[in-house]
Amino acid sequence: MSRTATLRQRAAQRLFKWGAAETGEVVLNQRHIYILPTRAGLAYCIMLVVLFLASINYSLSLGFALSFLLASCALIDMHLTHRNLAHLHLSPGRAPAVFAGQEAQFELHFVNPRKSDRYAIWIGFIDTAVDSIEHVIDIAAAGSSTVTLTTTSTERGWLPIPRVRLRTQFPLGLMRAWSYWRPALQVLVYPAPEENAPSLPLAQGDKTDGNGAAGHDDFAGIRPYQAGDSPRLLAWRQIARSDHQALIAKQFEGGLASELVLDIHRLPQAMDIELKLSRMTAWVLAAEAHGLPYAFRLGQQYFPAAIGPAHQAACLQALALYGHAV
Amino acid sequence: MKPTLPGTARPISRPMSRDKADTLLLLLACVLVLAPQAANQPSWITATGGMLLLWRSWITFRGNRMPSRWLLLPIAAATMGGVFATFGTLLGREAGVAMLALLLIFKLLEMHARRDLFVVVYLSFFMLLTNFFDSQSIGTGLLTVAAVIALLCAQLSFQYTGVVPPLRRRLRSALFIFALAAPLTVVLFTLFPRIQGPLWGLPKDANAGRSGLSDSMTPGNIANLALSNEVAFRVNFIDPMPPPSKLYWRAIVLNHFDGRTWTRRAPAASNDAPALAQAHSLVRYQLTQEPASRPWLFALDMPSSIPRIADRRVVLTSDMQLTAQEPIDERVRYELTSALDYTLQTEASPAVLNDNLLLPISYNPATLHFAAAVHSRFATDDARIRAVLDFFGNKNNHFVYSLQPALLGRNSVDEFLFQTRSGFCEHYAGAFVVLMRAMGIPARVVTGYQGGERNPVDGFLIVRQSDAHAWAEVWLPTRGWIRVDPTAMVSPDRIQRDVTTAAENEPILGGLITMNTGRNSLLAALRYRWDAINNGWNQWVLNYTPQRQKSLLHSLGLDNIAAQTLFLLAAVASALIFAFGLVMLIGRRNVDPIELAYSQLCKRLARRGLPRLPFEGPRTYRARLSSAAALPAETRTAAERFLILLEGARYAAPDAAARTKLLSELKKMLNRIR
Repeated sequence: MSRTATLRQRAAQRLFKWGAAETGEVVLNQRHIYILPTRAGLAYCIMLVVLFLASINYSLSLGFALSFLLASCALIDMHLTHRNLAHLHLSPGRAPAVFAGQEAQFELHFVNPRKSDRYAIWIGFIDTAVDSIEHVIDIAAAGSSTVTLTTTSTERGWLPIPRVRLRTQFPLGLMRAWSYWRPALQVLVYPAPEENAPSLPLAQGDKTDGNGAAGHDDFAGIRPYQAGDSPRLLAWRQIARSDHQALIAKQFEGGLASELVLDIHRLPQAMDIELKLSRMTAWVLAAEAHGLPYAFRLGQQYFPAAIGPAHQAACLQALALYGHAV
Repeated sequence: MKPTLPGTARPISRPMSRDKADTLLLLLACVLVLAPQAANQPSWITATGGMLLLWRSWITFRGNRMPSRWLLLPIAAATMGGVFATFGTLLGREAGVAMLALLLIFKLLEMHARRDLFVVVYLSFFMLLTNFFDSQSIGTGLLTVAAVIALLCAQLSFQYTGVVPPLRRRLRSALFIFALAAPLTVVLFTLFPRIQGPLWGLPKDANAGRSGLSDSMTPGNIANLALSNEVAFRVNFIDPMPPPSKLYWRAIVLNHFDGRTWTRRAPAASNDAPALAQAHSLVRYQLTQEPASRPWLFALDMPSSIPRIADRRVVLTSDMQLTAQEPIDERVRYELTSALDYTLQTEASPAVLNDNLLLPISYNPATLHFAAAVHSRFATDDARIRAVLDFFGNKNNHFVYSLQPALLGRNSVDEFLFQTRSGFCEHYAGAFVVLMRAMGIPARVVTGYQGGERNPVDGFLIVRQSDAHAWAEVWLPTRGWIRVDPTAMVSPDRIQRDVTTAAENEPILGGLITMNTGRNSLLAALRYRWDAINNGWNQWVLNYTPQRQKSLLHSLGLDNIAAQTLFLLAAVASALIFAFGLVMLIGRRNVDPIELAYSQLCKRLARRGLPRLPFEGPRTYRARLSSAAALPAETRTAAERFLILLEGARYAAPDAAARTKLLSELKKMLNRIR
């Protein structure tokens, strides 16, 4: 971050009292809401001054009255713009887990306890790398509205919601009121599943029962070689034929799924840890897709063989948070 | 955010797609703004503007494309050229207003982005101000209020992003803003420190075309005024009002006659004090003078004090004419004292007297001859004056008081006295002064107004242009200048008439219909009421000058307040009004006490870590609470009991007595949960 950006960040923190995330429901009050004239509002001010000077010059009593009326309208507009945000109840909603690289979705609830409608409130993230799309909502009297804001997830782990900004220029567009909100809401980001992952390691390294290891019986085709594939799987003939001398591995299916254990230690030592986690993720998904119960071991964590969404979620969460302080 | 904003970043020339109704509303607002100008602008500008506005409405109705810049530019250039050709300039007040009106209309035709809406609305606000150049009447004020509300409504309509509520609701929002702004406006209007204009030179044409007395008198020009019902000034008598026959409002003294026209020559330098040797029957009054672009002020014959008007030097000349340094181009109010019985300049300087004896050579020989005859027949000046007045008054001479006198030739006085014998006050006053001068009696013509009309509603005396009058003053040794009104000899009614019956049988619609508008008719009553309202408007709204502000603050005991303090005061007052408005708003909400207790309960439980979730009703909330281990048993039972009672109350619709009992029960439960 550049120095000016840091300074700005610090100034904003001081000015807008940016602090830690706020848990639970938040009610916007005076302290939360900031208000400044828009560009149209500034032009309006200049117009008022000119009207006032013209009234003085031509001694137009009604000109004074008009200038004062318009100035008063601007003041009332300021109040109404502020009121459009004030006492809005904000509460975080659901934030379903995603795989890294997918759009993280944050659901936010807005409740209007007042007996008048609120219009044209823009809601969006600030300080995200890419400009996120702002949503604009109306909230009916004593009604509520739900907005789902999205941001791109980049790495596994907990992704806290970026700071949310609510802003409005309603009713006259002369004033712009805004507020910041940092709800205590986070999305669990699973590691991205490895693309073209090797097939599931059915009973790998335990070949005493005479049944081929799962995925070693029937030749099913070829696929690009991936780090960690056994050298025995290399399809030498295809490698020799390929133009680029790229490594190609044979792929087998079948075999008895007596016991499927997904264990990170069985992956080659040399592999990058993130790649290992990606492969484990892909395998968890593959096992679920094939309906194969699987045991899961990740460092100290062990989940006995099972299948189903709960088991999958537990495994994926363990993968997402591996190495992170939970 | 950009792509989702309607109306922005739309490269093609299309009318704003939001809603035809929004655009039509804006057009309507602009028509309201431009309407008062239609009559004031040259007809070609009104016609062009009207056609362009129709074009714009047609585009909106049909959803057509907006005209391209290449089509608009030549039209705009042509009209600007037309403005230059008409006014000879593009600056100045009138040309500026015409330009502004055209600019507004062209902007309507070239409205593509949301920013343009603001430009249109702001131009309209400027336009509203320029309307006040021509009229600041109550009607204009009301029209302006309507236009402001329409413009607010249009501006508001363009701010919606989702569902746009029906026009009625939007109009109510605009009215709501206006209603809140109105009291604030009154405070600002009253207390905001005023500065006396002008800041830069007031253009010459600021008050062009107003009728009023002129500084010369040719037969016929007062008669023209007599047809005008415009108000010249209004008088509020502090002392009792004198009888109508004494109501001579002095304005201009004319002392030079060229044979046809009476004009004013500045009196020869003299030591005559412009003071009255004796003054009795003093009358105090306040006079509110309409703008007339002329420098003179009006005073009841004979002023004994010099009025003070802010930032204007007022001079009382030796011939008792009140003149301001600058033309009176705005409504002014001043306080005066006049003496109904007076003696003026018994010791006049010979030079002044000589000036008032001059007559043009070789004009009106018959008149001179007649004067010589009278002079030789009577011994004293008194008797000679009497004789001339009798000559006018003698029925056998058939002098007629007429608004349509016959035209007169070169020897106008001769023709009037001996041939036509029909004339208006100016004829009589002029001929009388010529006769006096011919007999060696110093005399001069005084023009002004006579009489007036008392408004029974507010007690103000209204003096109209139709009350314009001319009379004579003659100087006699030991008695000084005395007023003589020869018209009274011919038409005593003109002078004696009751001030409240002036406008009977007033011609309406240019004389097509004559209606009885006498003092007792309904029409007259309405007219007086309307004039009283108008007068109040003039006194309190239009004439609220820095002086008025000061005197109001003075009467409130806020003397010698520095501008800053005043500013602070205005700020505090507006804040108070604001707070008052807020309280009104909140108070209006009328919260059900049971609901209030419920929300208190929820708040208290939330503090204990068990907030009611948005989707939970009392029953589901109670279910959750009963299984919550975190709550002490006592609190839990109280909360559960509360919720059971609440649920019962919601569906049972208890009567008033049961309601109060229930409420106290609820409060009791609430107190247990601290």
